[in-house]
Amino acid sequence: MVRKALSSIGTAVSQTWQAIKASTDASILGAARFLGLLYGPIDRSLPIDKALKKSLGYRLAPHVGWRHSLGGIAYLLFVILVVTGVMLVFYYRPSPEEAHASIQHLVSDVAFGWLVRDVHAWSANLIVVALILHMGRVFLEASYKPPRETNWLIGLLLLVVVFMFGASGYLLPWDQWSYWLVAEITHAMEALPFFGATMADAVRGDEVVSGATLSRFFAMHVVLLPWVAAALLVYHFILVRRRGIAPPMDVAGDAPKGAAGPGVPFFPTQLLRSLIVSSLVIAVVITLAAFFPRPVGDPADISTVPESIVTTWLLADVARALIRYVGPSLFFVLVILLGGLAVLPLFDRRPTRDLRDRRMALVLGALFLVVFASAWVAGRQMRDTPPSIAVEQEPVVSEQAPIPTEPLGPRPIQPAQPEDEGGVP
Amino acid sequence: MNPSRLLYLAIGALALSLVAAPRYAQAQGRVTLDSSYGCVSCHAEHRQSFIAGIHSEWGMRCHDCHGGDPTAFEIASGHRQPFLGNPNKRETVQLCASCHSDPNQMRQYGLPADQLAEFRTSRHGELLLARGIDDGPGCTDCHDAHTILPPDDARSDVHPTNISATCAVCHDDAEMMGPYGIPVDQFETYRASAHGVSLYEKGNYASPTCVNCHGSHAALPAPPGEVPNVCGQCHVLVRQEFFEGPHGDGALEGEIPGCLACHSQHGTEHIPAESVQATCRECHETGTPEDVMAGKLQETLVQAEQDLEEASHSIDELVRHGRDVTSARLRFRTAKANQLQLTLVQHSLDTLRIEDLSRRVRSTSRGIQEMAEVSTEHRWEHKLMTIPVWFLALAVVFFSAVKLSGVRRTYE
Repeated sequence: MVRKALSSIGTAVSQTWQAIKASTDASILGAARFLGLLYGPIDRSLPIDKALKKSLGYRLAPHVGWRHSLGGIAYLLFVILVVTGVMLVFYYRPSPEEAHASIQHLVSDVAFGWLVRDVHAWSANLIVVALILHMGRVFLEASYKPPRETNWLIGLLLLVVVFMFGASGYLLPWDQWSYWLVAEITHAMEALPFFGATMADAVRGDEVVSGATLSRFFAMHVVLLPWVAAALLVYHFILVRRRGIAPPMDVAGDAPKGAAGPGVPFFPTQLLRSLIVSSLVIAVVITLAAFFPRPVGDPADISTVPESIVTTWLLADVARALIRYVGPSLFFVLVILLGGLAVLPLFDRRPTRDLRDRRMALVLGALFLVVFASAWVAGRQMRDTPPSIAVEQEPVVSEQAPIPTEPLGPRPIQPAQPEDEGGVP
Repeated sequence: MNPSRLLYLAIGALALSLVAAPRYAQAQGRVTLDSSYGCVSCHAEHRQSFIAGIHSEWGMRCHDCHGGDPTAFEIASGHRQPFLGNPNKRETVQLCASCHSDPNQMRQYGLPADQLAEFRTSRHGELLLARGIDDGPGCTDCHDAHTILPPDDARSDVHPTNISATCAVCHDDAEMMGPYGIPVDQFETYRASAHGVSLYEKGNYASPTCVNCHGSHAALPAPPGEVPNVCGQCHVLVRQEFFEGPHGDGALEGEIPGCLACHSQHGTEHIPAESVQATCRECHETGTPEDVMAGKLQETLVQAEQDLEEASHSIDELVRHGRDVTSARLRFRTAKANQLQLTLVQHSLDTLRIEDLSRRVRSTSRGIQEMAEVSTEHRWEHKLMTIPVWFLALAVVFFSAVKLSGVRRTYE
């Protein structure tokens, strides 16, 4: 009965569609035909249809599975960051006087402004997690080995670029938390040997974090870094296509490079998988944004050190822990470990990818992860503490007499100063 | 002009200036305390301490106080009469007064000339001058003998940050204070008081020190009936409210010691709102109408503080939500001003005005809290938005999974 009803509905719809197609009414199909006319010459010179069909028909190795979606998730988050970032720039005003007010306006008055901002903030956190997991998979499966060593290096550079994106974006809200965190980090930067002070000055553009710093961070965040990231991403994807995805760990030698041949086609299998993962990621990001929005701090005030700093970026916690607990020394350890990961493919060139044969590399990777995770956990613990710069900063006291801490009596006369000898009063 | 003549002219001008400069200084009444001044050839240790003080700056020299002949370089001729030598406390007071009690001399420095007259009225002056007891301090005990500095000089022993400690040199001495029955914990109590904290920790030089309440040269404790007036010199509005209330009459008639009935004299502690009734019970018995009134007053004051605190939290919440809090902060200031007024009016015990002010605090604070509640409601609506988002996402996942399994079956 139901089947019969559905069948008759389907027939009716089909007949209607045929009628529309057969219609000479230019108002409905004319537009489509017009677009076709426009598209025709483009497709003849740039065979987009052909390229699209080729891409969709691209076959991935049969072992490519869900775990390979981590890189895709990172890319999706990057796209979300770009889209929400562009939306934010429509409202954000990069000056010390207006930055905080513009964020307030965006969050309070603009329809779904809060969503755009919080999705941006959460994506910035999740992209770090996704990248580390993605790199962790590549590392464990030894996919960094030749012929994919360049791509490993590009991936590391992308990680650094993402770090720089987060660091430069962190100051932009220009509230007390972001201001004093950047002040703390640039102050700590001065303690680095040789180039520390110069680097801190270059980053700040001033002796203290000021409007000059905000301009620099904004320029980095929305002008310079997106181009660098785009170039690196394109290169990363080209190399993935050229070298192909690494074979399973138990298969010696290189993997088939895709294209026509055995394997799983990109369309529809991989596309459906991507759709599933993307939907879940987007839902998770929106949920996090709705349930845990980034609070807005008080406007940045150079003369008032906050009693606590609410950090809202994963690496901000890591940076604070490094500064507070171990100073520049552990920072160097982390840099050396990261450098070690970067040059790993140069030293680890044996074809074997078995974990038992790569103990040194595993120790290096595990050490990096442990140091990073420990620093993050430690950083989370010190959220209620004032910035370390406050400890070293001299209290702001006007030109007054020193306030005695001990009971004072008439003081003994100070001994004679040499320059007063024989002076004329 | 011939260059050699120019050189001679320059040398001549230099020589003239070297000769003329000391003479100019002498013409201004400033004798240099260098090796040509006889006193310092033996008493060099006092030279530095003296030239650091204000008297040296105004051109006074050793012989102006001690006498003798500063042009002589031998003991006998240097101590030629009139020579005062090392005066005792009483002589010192007379010596200082020889200038400081002369209005004609003090006029140019803008100093009062009644300091000796004031000193004679003080307990210190009575001890030293009338009774001849050396426990009473002379001028140099507070102002130093040689390095005498004006009170606004932070190095001075009578500067606001130092004067109380200067008083404490004697008033912390149990042996000296014992015979007079004066407690020796006054300075420590003062340091911990609202006034001491304001001065020493917050650097507020307007905070009163010993001399602001007791007087400096005419130092005496204020009689109980005068206490509200002494405190009222700064706490003008509190004094006004106090005398409008029932306690003001009692203070005027000497029945209660004014402010000191509730606040201790050197401790000047702030009485927290929640301790008001307990303080009242020190005089009024439990269950009396006054005690009931104190209970209501305490309840009102505590409520006003709580209202303000909740309003403050609401503003913090609004800030976190990214709301513009300019209006809320201005309203909070109004509420805070009303609450401060309430703390003043409580001294009059005028229940109508107290009730009115507390209502205003509550009303304004409630308005701020409502702003935060509206904002929180909006945030709740944001959370509800995740329901359709997840519905869509799971629908996509479901249909994609169904399709994927179909595709797999096709391949198999």
